Amino acid sequence: MQNTGKVVNGFVFMPPSLGAWIGKDIPAQPFSGNIPWTPLKKPISETTFTLMTSAGISMKTDPPFDVEREKIEPAWGDPSSRQIPASATEKDIDVNHLHINTDYIKQDINVMLPLKRFKEFEKEGQIGRLAPNCYSYYGFQPDPTELLTRTMPHVADQMQAENVEAVLLTPA
Amino acid sequence: MTPEFHREIGIPRVAAIEYPYGRPVGQVDDAAGQRQVLLQTLSFLEKAGNPGQIFHLPFTWPEEAKHTKWQPPEISPIIKLYLDEIKKMSAAAKRSK
Repeated sequence: MQNTGKVVNGFVFMPPSLGAWIGKDIPAQPFSGNIPWTPLKKPISETTFTLMTSAGISMKTDPPFDVEREKIEPAWGDPSSRQIPASATEKDIDVNHLHINTDYIKQDINVMLPLKRFKEFEKEGQIGRLAPNCYSYYGFQPDPTELLTRTMPHVADQMQAENVEAVLLTPA
Repeated sequence: MTPEFHREIGIPRVAAIEYPYGRPVGQVDDAAGQRQVLLQTLSFLEKAGNPGQIFHLPFTWPEEAKHTKWQPPEISPIIKLYLDEIKKMSAAAKRSK
């Protein structure tokens, strides 16, 4: 894999004090633990994808992510998830997230959850297919226990039921 | 978005991009730009051969960072709670420059 020469600075958009505050807990050394790994089994052009984002997107027909409780309990983040049909558009969704400006996602869902782009890739044969459902959760998780032990195993089951082979996660 | 977190948690494959929070795929209604980002990401996914690889996508956001308006309309509750501590970090941030 050739790299491009650019080195992404993940803090470039943050006020320096906020970047320093968030960055103070990130180790200086490379990660040394065990990293989960599932090799890709097929070429991308034959692979079934789903998309997942941490942006707090929900269907208007579903309950929104609970940001009201977070306003009262600042160290709590909604640990639930939502299914987003691959056919969803901006008209179908709500976005609730207290840590980003959600206006852009409401104007064009593809800036965060690129459903339309992946449907194009499917038609063009760039990917095998986009599964019928994609997913959203809420990225602010000071204590991720419930997200990891209850929410995500259920999401994984839903993905497996639709024969998903690869997931693109877009963090908010 | 923030590949630095990889050092904390270990992520199987990271396609890092220097785009503002809330718009990692690109600008509103810029289908061509979004496609470029995604196709390079898919290419990386296909080539990544072992856990923990980071691919730094070569794209540059067309606005200065301070003009990107990615922040929420109100300060988030956790930032509000720690605001004094965060302000104190300003001096540390200046020292590290």
